[in-house]
Amino acid sequence: MAEHLNSSPRMKRFLAWLPLAALAIFILTPLLSSLIYSFFRADGSFTTSGLTGLADSGKIVAPLMRSLVVSVLAAVILVVTLVPAVVAVHLWAPRLRSVLSILCTLPLVVPAIAIVAGLSAVLRSLAAQGRGSLGMQLNTMLQSQDLPLVLVGTYVILCLPFTFRSIDAGLSTLPLRTLFESSSILGAGLGTTLRRVIIPNIRGPVMFSVFFTFALSIAEYTVAATLSINTLPVFLNTLSSTNFRGSITLSVLLNLTTWLLLAAATVSASRFGHRPSAVSEHDEPEADEPAVSQAAGAFRKDDETP
Amino acid sequence: MTSVPQSSPRTAGPAGAGSAPAGPRRRRALSPAWTALAPIAVIIVLFFVIPIGGMVATSLLVPGSEPGTKTFGLDNFTALGSGSRSMALGNSLLLSFTAATVAAIFGGLCAWAISTVKSKIVDSITAVISSVLANDGGVPLAFSFIVAVGNTGYFTALITAVDSTFTLYSVKGLILMYQYFLIPTMILLTLPSFVSLRQQWREANTSLGGTSLTFWRRVGLPVITPALLGAWLLMFGSAFGTHASAAVLIGTGGFPLIPLEIAGQLAGSAATGGEGVAMALGVTTGAIAVIVLIAYNALMKRSAKWLNT
Repeated sequence: MAEHLNSSPRMKRFLAWLPLAALAIFILTPLLSSLIYSFFRADGSFTTSGLTGLADSGKIVAPLMRSLVVSVLAAVILVVTLVPAVVAVHLWAPRLRSVLSILCTLPLVVPAIAIVAGLSAVLRSLAAQGRGSLGMQLNTMLQSQDLPLVLVGTYVILCLPFTFRSIDAGLSTLPLRTLFESSSILGAGLGTTLRRVIIPNIRGPVMFSVFFTFALSIAEYTVAATLSINTLPVFLNTLSSTNFRGSITLSVLLNLTTWLLLAAATVSASRFGHRPSAVSEHDEPEADEPAVSQAAGAFRKDDETP
Repeated sequence: MTSVPQSSPRTAGPAGAGSAPAGPRRRRALSPAWTALAPIAVIIVLFFVIPIGGMVATSLLVPGSEPGTKTFGLDNFTALGSGSRSMALGNSLLLSFTAATVAAIFGGLCAWAISTVKSKIVDSITAVISSVLANDGGVPLAFSFIVAVGNTGYFTALITAVDSTFTLYSVKGLILMYQYFLIPTMILLTLPSFVSLRQQWREANTSLGGTSLTFWRRVGLPVITPALLGAWLLMFGSAFGTHASAAVLIGTGGFPLIPLEIAGQLAGSAATGGEGVAMALGVTTGAIAVIVLIAYNALMKRSAKWLNT
């Protein structure tokens, strides 16, 4: 019996490494394959034809710019609209919290293809109202190749589940009511409080949301392709028929970028997640209210190094 | 010190919301909430509620008795039962079921392994990489698989040595490719449950004379099963709705799948009038998704009872 107890943990730990090794091989293989293919020809010679092929045609510029603009806009709009909403729901309308939570989790299960199908139907009905009508104008504006607002809005929706959860968890750790009351005692309105008190304290979740939304938007294919808007992934797909090696190279670059962004998002979420920032305490100086000083003291704790 | 005049949202609030100033205090406190909630509500309505509503409405519209008119009817849904659509539905269900099951087995195994190994490095790598990979279902994934195990891929010979009928551009290839993001999803979802299997339970099992097998059969698996089933459901839903990587790999021809059918119908609908069918497909997908979500929530509540996760 003692033998059984002694040997089985070690055996178990050895056995446990096997599936992990297999998984690591499975994950790394496609990645290494595309990396190798981008730079080495079939006979083993090194080549940069992939990279040069990308730069030559110059056709990459427009989709790249489009994707960047859309992604930045989506990230900014998501944070600017979601943070006040979650704050509001925590502070003033707790009953709406479950409604908001459900609304923000639905895009996780409703697949992008269903959302874009509905979007397509709505856009078509807008266009069907005839030339020059409001519907038609709305339709063209949303889908304009220069600034596809329809993509921005849809990407915000697609990113809601994860970012809502993150911001929600971050806000739950804050003494929100105290912060708000002390802040308004000192004369700040809603906007100032949000900007200078709340957001610095949820820096982790906000950074996570920004990175995550950016990464998802820049790599998103389904919605853009179905609406025939030429973003980077869509361009990537069409490139594969003319310059396969170039498209593989681009896909490696895109993949690495997305991975780095998502990794940065995850790391920033965990590193900045829990500690309240010391920055905001500048806005809440000496105050008589014990609650305020308690809140300020909580921020000051980080500052004091022994 | 003069107090800064209240910023506009606050002053606009009570006036804008029209709530009586003399009303109960709760009413006035709600007003800034509406201003704060308005932007996200606008976005959600514009880009989520309206599309879904439009989708449902369009799916119920069928050509009326006179040409050019539309009435409500269920024709689009009955059309799902025939032709390429029913094949697509069958294929999608089969693919999602198999992919989710395979991922559940391997992913569960890996989650157990990670919780058993108890190494800090593995844990931190897992935390970062699993959430990265779980969201990685797009075009680059398909390309890397084409390069690795496509028709002229580096490792195709290896795989065909084991299974000579394998080709990437088929069900088997899709299942293999889907594992790339399904297994990390499974690990992400079930690792907390494996970790919270308490040591005391194992010790109790051993002191009562049971082996590892007994532990898993009598204690471990029954406790974890709700979490495992919930994860399987989510993976089923996720595989069902995956479009990007499948579209790159298969296009709209070879192997009908529901997301590809939807995309195909949308692209060609101006000519063939298949828009209603595409919407019906979309509604079906959405309905499956909602059912998955409800079932998942129920299972999670069950799991939380035992594991406090």
